[in-house]
Amino acid sequence: MKLSYQWLCEYVDVRDISPEALADKLTSAGLEVEAVTPRNQGVRGVVVGQVLTCEPHPNADRLKVCTVDAGVGEALTIVCGAPNVRAGQKVPTALPGATLPGGRSIGKVKLRGVESNGMLCSAQEIGLEVKLLPKEQTEGLFLLPDDAPVGADVVTLLHLDDVVLEIGLTPNRSDCLSMRGLAYEVGALYDRPVRFPSPAEPAASGASPVRVTLETERCPRYDAQVITGLTPKPSPLWMQMRLLAMGVRPINLMVDVTNYVMLEWGQPLHAFDFGQVRGGHIVVRQARPGERLVTLDGQERELKEDTIVIADPERAIGIAGVMGGENSEVSAATRQVVIESAAFDAASVRRTGQRLGLRSEAQQRFEKGIDPVAIRAALLRAAELLCELGGGRREGGVVSVVRGQPSQPHTVAFSPARCNRLLGTDISAETMRGVFRRLGFTVEESSPDLWRIEVPTRRPDITLEADLAEEVARLVGYEAIPSTLPFGATTAGVRTPSQRLRKRTREVLTGMGMTEVFTYALTHPGSLDALRVGPDAPYRQMISLRMPMSEERSVLRTHLLPSLAQVAQYNLARDVAGGRVFEIARVYLPARLPLDEQPSERTQWAGLWFGVTEADVWNRPRAYDFYDAKGVVEGWLGAFGWLDQAEFRPASAPWLHPGRSAEVWLDGERIGSFGELHPETAAAFELDVAVYAEFDLDLLVPRLSDRWLVTPLPRHPASRRDLAVVVGRDVPADALLAAAREAAREGGENLLEDIRVFDVYTGSGVPEGMKSVAIRLTCRAQDRTLTDDEVDALVGRVLAAWTARFAAVLRG
Amino acid sequence: MDVKELETAVLQVQREAEDALGQVQDARALDEWRVRYLGKKSALSQVMRQMGTLPAEERPRAGEVVNRCRERLQAAWEAARTALSERLLAERLASERIDVTLPGRRQERGALHPSVRVIQEVEDIFLGMGFSIAEGPEVETDEYNFEKLNLPQDHPARDMQDTFYLTDTLLLRTHTSPMQVRTMERMRPQAPVKVIVPGRVYRRDEDDATHSHAFNQIEGLVVDEGIRMSDLKGVLEQFARAMFGPEQAVRLRPSFFPFTEPSAEVDVLCINCGGAGCRVCKETGWIEILGAGMVHPHVLDGAGYDSRRFNGFAFGMGVERIAMLKYGIEDIRHLYQNDLRLLRQFARPV
Ligand SMILES: [Zn+2]
Repeated sequence: MKLSYQWLCEYVDVRDISPEALADKLTSAGLEVEAVTPRNQGVRGVVVGQVLTCEPHPNADRLKVCTVDAGVGEALTIVCGAPNVRAGQKVPTALPGATLPGGRSIGKVKLRGVESNGMLCSAQEIGLEVKLLPKEQTEGLFLLPDDAPVGADVVTLLHLDDVVLEIGLTPNRSDCLSMRGLAYEVGALYDRPVRFPSPAEPAASGASPVRVTLETERCPRYDAQVITGLTPKPSPLWMQMRLLAMGVRPINLMVDVTNYVMLEWGQPLHAFDFGQVRGGHIVVRQARPGERLVTLDGQERELKEDTIVIADPERAIGIAGVMGGENSEVSAATRQVVIESAAFDAASVRRTGQRLGLRSEAQQRFEKGIDPVAIRAALLRAAELLCELGGGRREGGVVSVVRGQPSQPHTVAFSPARCNRLLGTDISAETMRGVFRRLGFTVEESSPDLWRIEVPTRRPDITLEADLAEEVARLVGYEAIPSTLPFGATTAGVRTPSQRLRKRTREVLTGMGMTEVFTYALTHPGSLDALRVGPDAPYRQMISLRMPMSEERSVLRTHLLPSLAQVAQYNLARDVAGGRVFEIARVYLPARLPLDEQPSERTQWAGLWFGVTEADVWNRPRAYDFYDAKGVVEGWLGAFGWLDQAEFRPASAPWLHPGRSAEVWLDGERIGSFGELHPETAAAFELDVAVYAEFDLDLLVPRLSDRWLVTPLPRHPASRRDLAVVVGRDVPADALLAAAREAAREGGENLLEDIRVFDVYTGSGVPEGMKSVAIRLTCRAQDRTLTDDEVDALVGRVLAAWTARFAAVLRG
Repeated sequence: MDVKELETAVLQVQREAEDALGQVQDARALDEWRVRYLGKKSALSQVMRQMGTLPAEERPRAGEVVNRCRERLQAAWEAARTALSERLLAERLASERIDVTLPGRRQERGALHPSVRVIQEVEDIFLGMGFSIAEGPEVETDEYNFEKLNLPQDHPARDMQDTFYLTDTLLLRTHTSPMQVRTMERMRPQAPVKVIVPGRVYRRDEDDATHSHAFNQIEGLVVDEGIRMSDLKGVLEQFARAMFGPEQAVRLRPSFFPFTEPSAEVDVLCINCGGAGCRVCKETGWIEILGAGMVHPHVLDGAGYDSRRFNGFAFGMGVERIAMLKYGIEDIRHLYQNDLRLLRQFARPV
């Protein structure tokens, strides 16, 4: 909402307060002023000039040489290039020494040999709001009315000395969508009287020629007034300038008056050409199935049954509260209008406007709620202006049809003590009384602590005691609220197990050098194509937005890989040689589609290793591989005490390399998988080798335990034996270890404390298709130092098992 | 042989030995020298053995001469040995010199995402004040996202939040506020309720330097008997001091949210200039970091806390906005582009 400072001063005298100070005051009261803009963009020394003569320039086809009476004694010779310049016109004339917006200064100049003593100005040159002006006022000189006094300062004449405050209104303050509401607000903030005149009710003047019938309960009230004898003409300059200041386009007197009164009173009005209202009968009803109407903007609109239409007995002539119909538009031929001032159901107007993609000033006011008191007053005011400025006269009085109860000011119970308790303040009853008086609310004190506050209809946002408490705090100033702390029971703040698991996972992963990323959950429906998942795979069950902003962000992801792959692509394209990243985020898995209930939102951690390792003095760069990921996975599992139970099995995920990927199982439950990307997946993401891991954190929450004990330190020394055995290349190292553990257990007392692979070798000395695996066995008994014989026996059993199962050969 | 001759012989040996010691360069030569001049077969020992041929009264004098020489040579040897080992050590140290300006074998630390970092910091501050952390679904119902927050169908304030709808009744939550209601419904009739709720939220906004269709919010809610608006101010003041520094202050300004009444925008002293006024705070000295207010009676009653008995306050802050202010990030999109050159700068411990 824009606020003209000059217009405001007509109702409440704040001339001693600068527009900037006013802006600060409004902002601190919750009406946030987003901009304070002087209308004058730098015009000085521009006056009303009358073109006396206008002759062709002797040396230039497009220029004219004019003599201009600018009220400075003798007529000035001014060269003008505007196509529309004519003798007799009154135009803004920049005298020598004048300045124009943009710091442009005007002097005496010679133009093609003729001296020009100033400049005749266009709307743009004097900084008018050209976007809002009709085309003919922006092409060439800006023409001033014939009655503009020659020599008068254009700044004053065009109200360029006004300042406009742009207010970002919160939706509750529909009252401030009018000068009237803003005047009351400013009056309350400064405790100054507000003079906002109500138009007089004219004496009865016979029967109105219009008949109004309400056929829908969505129009609780409809007032109409017929005005006759109008002649089409522009509205007066002062009205046009006010409309411009408020950001409204001037059109002609009849339309401008309805807009002006809407800005003044907040009540939208509409003028119909009464000659087009068949039978002089206005019917307000719901639209009929399939009904169509061409609206003022020339578009044919299909109406839905929940749309309220204004109609005559034969056809619709307007969409209530949204836009009038072309068939009843006020035109140059219009001599008689009927002005509508009504209340329409906010929700219905809102839905209709949304459906039609329209968002008019009128519609916004109906949506947010209008003041019923203003309906008749605004209509009287419009009639008054049309009679005064347009030479019209009222034909009959106001026709007013009301359905149901007329609105009354409402009453809200208020306790000063409760108000202070809510705010934590100690504001006196006297101060509170003052606040309500300033707001124009009436206070009835049933008892010292039970007041009844009567709220005028212009403030429909005030319905509860809390609303009144806010008004008290607002007018006293929020800075009056002290700082305290709640004095209730003490509580201990703790993270839930799920939050702890995620926080620790982040700590563990970043501790191992992984960097966390944050990607969008909304993604492209084709993002799964690279994953090689079938058309029926559950991952394809993606929830789509009804009205996405773009296809790129149109579905909720079911998989984190595409997002991480995009991170890799983005970085590789920007001088980053490689990286290891992870994200902890949700995937959205619907039980079924179409969606009929909230989906399951599962939290995963996913990691991606891409490109090459960082190169430095000590390390040659190398591509990240499976074992980089496995190391992190093991480190992560180990950090939670799950590594010992974890089983790594070959994975079958279609996005992973079948020979270089593993699933991780804990106690018979698959908790995740990792591995090199399938070459086709990698290629589709334009990556070389990359390794991806994903784990379901929700599955792991129940396993999170904060209770664990240390393993006691051994009391006897261990014996270590290193063995190198040659086995087939496809024998998994894990199988050798498992067989060894099993063989160790067969001896009754399990002396094998630890077994691990420390080297794998293929190449010279190892036959083709075979590999040499070096394994270290750590043997220990709890109660004694082992003898060599005991250890030899254990090693013998292990070797025998390997030979039997894998045809292993002990290497030299 | 008489004493004189012996003395001359000893001095001869001594001179020779001292000359030889001057030539010694390494440990082996030093050892050889010791054998040669101080060993059992040394010239000095041979002189000693000849002492028996001297008359008895001359022997003490002769012994004295020989011993003085032996002690002198012994001391010279020790000095030479020390000097030699010092020299050898110095040589070794010189030969072992490395270029200490080369980089170390760095253990690269990973980094938390700046938004997550801010969330964790905020969480820790409120955990310290006795708040729990709750989380909720991102796919919400219209009922929880709007209706139970005093935003019925066709409420004009629904304009404030352009919504991604999935079905007639399901949507991507536009704020973390639905968790106010879900938390109260879970907790009732217990009091106090003290939670914060971090999470992703969605708005139908074009992505630009200051808007994102997806971002993180942290909601806060306290419900108890006797909660006052001044408590809101005090709690947020503590938060601001813990988050932005002990000199912080907060300022409340009237505002409007359908689910709070009274409502407030909350400013803190500009993090950049400390209140003096700068470009970041548009010369006001203050920056807005959250919206807040007293829980609306309709919301309390709807969630099962009788508004005649209970009061509450709620607040909500944008995580990205705080991250941007705190770390001087100028474009919100930088938080979602995941450029590792930016993210790795967040490897500092929280
Ligand atoms: Zn600043």
